[in-house]
Amino acid sequence: MQTTERGKQPNLVEMAWDPVTRIIGNLGIYTKIDFENREVAECKSTSSIFRGYSVFMKGKDPRDAGFITSRICGICGDNHTTCANYAQNMAFGIENPPLGEWMINLGEAAEYMFDHSIFQDNMVFVDFCERMVAETNPKLLARAQSTPAPHAKVHGFDTIADIMRSYDPFTGKTYLEALQMTRLTREMFCLMEGRHVHPSTVYPGGVGTVASPQVFTDYLSRLVRYLDFAKKVVRMNDDVFDFFYEALPGYEKVGQRRILLGCWGAFQDPDHCDYRYENMTSWGRKMFVTPGIVIDGELVTTDLVEINLGMRILLGSSYYDDWEDEEVFVARDPLGNPVHRRHPWNQTTIPRPQKRNLEKGPYSWVMSPRWYHEKTGEHLALDTGGGPLARLWVTALAGMVKTPFVRSTGNGVQITLPQSGTLGEMEFEWKVPKWSNTIERNRARAYFIVYSAAMALYFVEKAMDRLRTGDVRTYQEFDLPDEAIGCGFHEAVRGVLSHHMVIKDRKIANYHPYPPTPWNASPRDAFGTPGPYEDAVQGCPIFEENGPENFKGIDIMRTVRSFDPCLPCGVHMYLGEGKVLREVHSPMAGLGGA
Amino acid sequence: MKKNDIETGRAQARVVWPAHVPGVAQGGSRGKLAKSVGLYVEGDKVKGTARRSTGIRPHDRDPIDPRSPNFSPP
Repeated sequence: MQTTERGKQPNLVEMAWDPVTRIIGNLGIYTKIDFENREVAECKSTSSIFRGYSVFMKGKDPRDAGFITSRICGICGDNHTTCANYAQNMAFGIENPPLGEWMINLGEAAEYMFDHSIFQDNMVFVDFCERMVAETNPKLLARAQSTPAPHAKVHGFDTIADIMRSYDPFTGKTYLEALQMTRLTREMFCLMEGRHVHPSTVYPGGVGTVASPQVFTDYLSRLVRYLDFAKKVVRMNDDVFDFFYEALPGYEKVGQRRILLGCWGAFQDPDHCDYRYENMTSWGRKMFVTPGIVIDGELVTTDLVEINLGMRILLGSSYYDDWEDEEVFVARDPLGNPVHRRHPWNQTTIPRPQKRNLEKGPYSWVMSPRWYHEKTGEHLALDTGGGPLARLWVTALAGMVKTPFVRSTGNGVQITLPQSGTLGEMEFEWKVPKWSNTIERNRARAYFIVYSAAMALYFVEKAMDRLRTGDVRTYQEFDLPDEAIGCGFHEAVRGVLSHHMVIKDRKIANYHPYPPTPWNASPRDAFGTPGPYEDAVQGCPIFEENGPENFKGIDIMRTVRSFDPCLPCGVHMYLGEGKVLREVHSPMAGLGGA
Repeated sequence: MKKNDIETGRAQARVVWPAHVPGVAQGGSRGKLAKSVGLYVEGDKVKGTARRSTGIRPHDRDPIDPRSPNFSPP
């Protein structure tokens, strides 16, 4: 990572991190820091890579959508496959057979467990590990050495500093164990979806995986092994994050922004989901992670149709021309509601490469997705809280998920994990926090790992019940329609994911995937509203003990990484005449010099 | 063998075209299931027979109790 001091103003120091490490893609964070008041005065988030799925998907066979869009991401590609298939199911008028749906749910649960583990334990926690804290906050580390860990009996680490040490990259015990565990969860994923991370057996209408008792017991045996680790992780996270609140009063202000959370729902219930747009409101509410939008702590909707129609793609600071004069593909949805021309169904991507202008002009390849709140007329810059925060928050407030292992209570989510290798049955309760901030985004990720594990137990039971009846059907046949529209709503690991598709002449006429990072990493829109990264970093207090000379920006980096940033899905690449505009290598996980 | 020793005929797809060639049936096309050996539809379920796993005297390999589900080997 490159950290540069770009010039000084009377009280503000310009500092930039470009690219930010331990994430994929080319995210740049440009800030102006007020060291006298120890606060970030201004922040801009940019991306300098450009892709272009919405450009080159046009003219492709709709049945290929899941296989092509999987390549949007190298870590959550299967979320795209799944979402593309949801959209295709709607367009083709088909639904997944129950066993196929349970198997997709099992694959996606394994993906959440895998991805959250590797990101939380091998990347996020590098910012909280002993070596990092020693460099940025030595006084805090000294206190951690003498602070006993409240859940030492569960995870085996006596002090907070012991937990931090276990997260040291390449040497820490938890760091290494997490790597082993991610192998296990990837194996679970492959049992269901064929290959990680670009599934080979997930199609529109279901899966090609052969359903047998063996495949489920293979999955279950790995899951039970994983439970031990998951139980410990939650308690370690709680101990470290509670310590930060206690030892650094005011730390809740780091990364805090207005509570504006969106979740598009995950894990379909085959008993209710028929993929018809007309019934989307009701089957959306039966999902095992409830879709919804939380504004200022209040749940304003759980209706996927309302969520869909409120989507607006704004420009303002992005390198694109407007599409006001381009074709409107979908004037009304299948229920007769008008569809806005800034909605993904009607978007046309027109790239306009140009010089970055951080002061006045466009500065990012990311567009600015917003959600139009009809009651207030606001275009809201929703964030995903890194994924889990929004998922848990919406699910908790909605109170719709009631399963043997996961129960939503209206103000929290209760999760029960049965006895596993070394630890007995354990109860967890994620409670709606007071803030949408860095710590709570990270804490929710640990809780969503156990949420996914608990749901996976339920899905295995349901799949085995179905199998015992002799049913082995995992896919539904279909014919490709000449013209159709479809939309898929899902949760990528780091948050909301939607795919909007228009089919004409049996080919894709328009296709727009909207993954979480365009929402989170969006730049200032046409109304001047900053995107969530910018919003969360602006006004962020600085707790780092270093001065401007050896400033690492740890509080800023913790904030950006709490959103689980992943830029390849945030932008759209256009290769022109086959010319690669810019090649970047993926920054690896490590202490690096962050 | 050199590459151009193989007669492939005129290409039906170009790089920018959809991968699926008209006339080639897809695995998920309607009617495929009915043609699949070893599978039969019963109500809303699709069940399997031993023929799904072997072509050698499959009837002898069905479960002794007809109520038993019939699964392919892993």
